[in-house]
Amino acid sequence: MKPAPFEYHAPTSIADAVTLLARLEDEGCDAKILAGGQSLMPMLAMRVARPDALVDLRRVPGLDHIRLQDGHIAIGAMASKRAAELSELVRERQPLFHAATRLVGHQQIRNRGSVGGSFAHADPASEYPAVALVLDMEMVATGPDGERVIPAAEFFVTYMTTALEPGEILTEVRMPVLPAGTGWAIQEITRRSGDLALAGIALTLRIEAGRCTDARIAAFGIDATAVRLGEAEEALRGAAPNGESFARAGAIAAASLADPMSCIHASAEYRRHLVGTLLERALAEAAARAH
Amino acid sequence: MAIDIPTRTDQLPTSATRFIGKAVNRIEDPALVSGTVEFIDNLSLPGMLHCAILRSPHPHARITGIDVSAALELPGVEAVLTGEDVERWCDPCFTAPEGWGNYCLAVGKVRFVGEPVVAVAATSRYIAEDALELIQVEYELLAPVANPDEAMAPGAPLVFESRGTNVIQSRTYTWGEVDRVFAEADRIVTRQFRWNRVGANPTETFGCICQWDLADNSLTCRGAYQTPRFMGIGRAASLRLPANKVKIISHAQGGGFGGKGGPRGTDIAALLSRKSDGRPVKYIEDRMEYLLAGGGQSWDRYYDASLALKADGTVTGFKVRLVDDQGAGAEGYGTISAAKPLAAFTGNYRIEAAFYDLTLVATNRAPTYPYRGYGPPPHNLVLESLMDVAARELTLDPAELRRRNYIRPEQFPYTVPSGNEYDSGNYAAVLDRVLELADYKGLREAQTKARAEGRLVGIGVVSTVEPGVFDWNAYATVGVPGVGVPEGVKVAVDVFGSVTVAVGFNLQGQGQFTIAAQVVADYLGVDMNTVKVTTASTDVALPHFGQGGSRLGVAVTGAILGACEKLRQTFCRVVAHVMQTEPEQIELLDGRLQMKGAPSHGMSIAEVAGLMLSRSDLLPLGVEPCPEATFVWVSPNRNQPDDQGRCRSYLTAAAATHVVQVEIDRDTGQVKILGYYIVDDCGTRLNPANVEGQLQGGVAQGVGAALYEEYVYDPQCQPLVSTFVDYLMPTIHEVPMTVKDHIVTPSPIAPLGAKGCGEGAIHTTPAALLCAINDALAPLGLECRETPASPRRLWQLLHDKA
Ligand SMILES: Cc1cc2nc3c(=O)[nH]c(=O)nc-3n(C[C@H](O)[C@H](O)[C@H](O)COP(=O)(O)OP(=O)(O)OC[C@H]3O[C@@H](n4cnc5c(N)ncnc54)[C@H](O)[C@@H]3O)c2cc1C
Repeated sequence: MKPAPFEYHAPTSIADAVTLLARLEDEGCDAKILAGGQSLMPMLAMRVARPDALVDLRRVPGLDHIRLQDGHIAIGAMASKRAAELSELVRERQPLFHAATRLVGHQQIRNRGSVGGSFAHADPASEYPAVALVLDMEMVATGPDGERVIPAAEFFVTYMTTALEPGEILTEVRMPVLPAGTGWAIQEITRRSGDLALAGIALTLRIEAGRCTDARIAAFGIDATAVRLGEAEEALRGAAPNGESFARAGAIAAASLADPMSCIHASAEYRRHLVGTLLERALAEAAARAH
Repeated sequence: MAIDIPTRTDQLPTSATRFIGKAVNRIEDPALVSGTVEFIDNLSLPGMLHCAILRSPHPHARITGIDVSAALELPGVEAVLTGEDVERWCDPCFTAPEGWGNYCLAVGKVRFVGEPVVAVAATSRYIAEDALELIQVEYELLAPVANPDEAMAPGAPLVFESRGTNVIQSRTYTWGEVDRVFAEADRIVTRQFRWNRVGANPTETFGCICQWDLADNSLTCRGAYQTPRFMGIGRAASLRLPANKVKIISHAQGGGFGGKGGPRGTDIAALLSRKSDGRPVKYIEDRMEYLLAGGGQSWDRYYDASLALKADGTVTGFKVRLVDDQGAGAEGYGTISAAKPLAAFTGNYRIEAAFYDLTLVATNRAPTYPYRGYGPPPHNLVLESLMDVAARELTLDPAELRRRNYIRPEQFPYTVPSGNEYDSGNYAAVLDRVLELADYKGLREAQTKARAEGRLVGIGVVSTVEPGVFDWNAYATVGVPGVGVPEGVKVAVDVFGSVTVAVGFNLQGQGQFTIAAQVVADYLGVDMNTVKVTTASTDVALPHFGQGGSRLGVAVTGAILGACEKLRQTFCRVVAHVMQTEPEQIELLDGRLQMKGAPSHGMSIAEVAGLMLSRSDLLPLGVEPCPEATFVWVSPNRNQPDDQGRCRSYLTAAAATHVVQVEIDRDTGQVKILGYYIVDDCGTRLNPANVEGQLQGGVAQGVGAALYEEYVYDPQCQPLVSTFVDYLMPTIHEVPMTVKDHIVTPSPIAPLGAKGCGEGAIHTTPAALLCAINDALAPLGLECRETPASPRRLWQLLHDKA
């Protein structure tokens, strides 16, 4: 369990990092960005990932901020998940993202693992991509041509694949402040505490005058990427926020899944069922928060 | 010189024990928590090379060609070892039963995924792994034997062609009038169970550094060796060396639990050293290697079992048919796990007749190894589950059914049908205490309420006996010969009165160094911090075994008491000579050798030792100037088994009852442990903190086996679990902190009345959890009879019903 040989680079500015990535690409050298290493290092050790070069972002300054910026919350890609977890701003203004963060691995993982790394890694069972879809988050990519902003709905392409170009670095993620009165919930089924989810649901729910006016729901752990559950969202619009409509939404969501993943811990059928159960429970949890 | 080993603490030469029986701080811990313990991977020797192993990707294939030329050309590669070398220099590893073993590297064919095929020694592990990618191996695929059914089918491919069959052993044991009790039974309950593969997962995997001295033609192996002497003898046999040319230096181990294995890794590293001009070669098994093909897979079992009962709930007979998938041979002594249940086949109960139909089968899964507890965890799960089924059918409370059948206190020593003799116990007292501790009545009331709300809440009440202090005779029927497992120590007092205890084993986590220091300190009346416990390498150590079979705490206590007793006799002679009296007039008490009736006349231990080492002129004739003594302890009164395997095997019989309350989430199949209560009785608790650690750790592994862990293979025998992402060791979040209490029924025959206590919890927890789960499912008429009771499995059961 030792990595295959690779070159190691540790640039000290974003500009250097971008230039370096461009040069490596020109040289036909397969380069990978190293952030917290919590996913990449095991893959290197198992020789599943065999890049020719690693570009370590840990010496690049200015990538670990967590701040309110133009009315939204901006988190630097290299901010640790633990920092996001401990941030008062995140906890108070974006409780869904905060709750999702606390579900990622264990504290040791969150100490090391970066916020940006989870978006770039795009594990189908990860919490963040689902939250990104629910919140319409934006990803800021920096490349040779400068910055561009990618909406979450376009960012996650497929299994562990994002819209980032080879020479681009994810530098920041942006999310709205959760509007007052919005209900939210994230629930998942894992085999053990801290494991990646067999299935999970993240959602926000608005209730006005005793009716659900807007539900934004995403499931994770069931498909190649996190997926929005549009049919369930639709079914909830205008429905009374009660057990009956939540159960119905759960059933609709379960039925709407195309082809859930299957593994030794959970069959496709079981995953489909879990999505329904989790959605029903998460809606009840969110409804209790909405006002 | 007859040596009596005290069986009671009040027989010690001290007016009050100061250390034994107390939760003294462990002497192992300062070095462990400060990181100064020398685990094998921390050690580096001059000129050392690193080994990496190319392993078979196929479960069953013939090797038709190996090309290592490109690997040899890689700078940094010093030696490459293949089956050809191994066949020239080695014999297959010793196994039980004999003849079902492999060479350390595949010769001719591979029998499981992960079997070592080629090994490389290079100047770094990185280079060694790079070199593996340059090796070409050609295989001709053979049909795999995926499970026992396939293995026993007519015309099945053979895992070991020379054996002519895949059945390693098939035999029955009949104890008592089995046919009669079943014919006369008022009720017979029968169930099938599937226990899927689980196993040991110590924090540290196996590792070693081997150096072949080409001038002396001798071998030194340093490593994470659990049973050093045994390992040395085995290496001498497989590497064709005289036993005195193999020296094993056992390093501290980050756990063991039976999974360390070691023969293959050691032989490979040794031969690589031989091939690279005697440079030391380090092999550190990584976690993927461990999970794939280390010693961590055990107990792959298919059970069909019946219990015969009278209408009043008296259990009269127990029949078990076990087909055990041993994997690719018997190299790991997995077979002993199937024989171990003989030591407590009928558990805590007065069951007059029993029958065991045992079939051990070879397949193309990885070979199985021992795991903490050896065989009883699955066996107890079967027995205790049947007890619960019977209780349900007879509408008896499961605790009550057990109580009615317990061996009664006055019946000890009690010989079970399968032959072993239980030394002592009070099972009803254990049950009473745990029911009180758990507020059993309250739990049942809460269950009734929960059921009315449609919740699936269940309670398990499970009793087990833990056979402690193993002896070889327990495994005679699967080909392990002999009676008497030795544990030898040397106790030496130096010129200043400090005491050194040399043992044959190294620390592994259980705290036996502390036990040794406690016993010496109380016997010799010295402070524990003047006692040093050290590990002797096999070239100088006394015969010993080390950790295993829930024995070492008791065994090392016996050995130390024996050595101290010999020291006392010598000291009495010396002091008597100096005081011009008879040795019988001198007694040892609280660290002083003094005149009986005139305690002011005497000498301290330090003074006697100092005198012996510095004033030979004062020594009596025949006494050497050596304040040291050795003693090799074996379990007293063991015997050879009869043709049905019956013998006095394990010395002690500890007991426990666990009460556990669980709730199953109907919609997700997840099990939550709501409460966990344990009362155990392991006789004298030499160090209560050690016992507590053993219990809590055993529970953790039991939770793993019952709910989480499983080595999954696909139908082609490809392992689907290769990392901790999929092999689900429970973490601190999944393991409940148990509520514990104990009672003490000292062993009348074991040193200081202590019973083996290292395995009891893992013997009990899987059964307790499964019984609780099935109690929760009972109103639905469902039963889960497969481990682990994972959410997927439970949900499927619930879903299929709905
Ligand atoms: C025991 C354990 C449990 C875990 N549990 C969970 C869990 O429950 N949920 C979950 O979501 N994750 C979980 N993870 C994964 C963990 O959250 C990782 O931290 C995360 O996936 C990657 O973050 P990182 O900073 O460690 O990235 P790295 O491992 O360094 O990199 C991951 C990938 O992202 C790329 N990358 C990283 N940063 C950037 C960037 N700024 N721009 C472009 N590309 C980049 C890398 O090139 C690489 O391909 C777990 C990990 C472990 C070890």
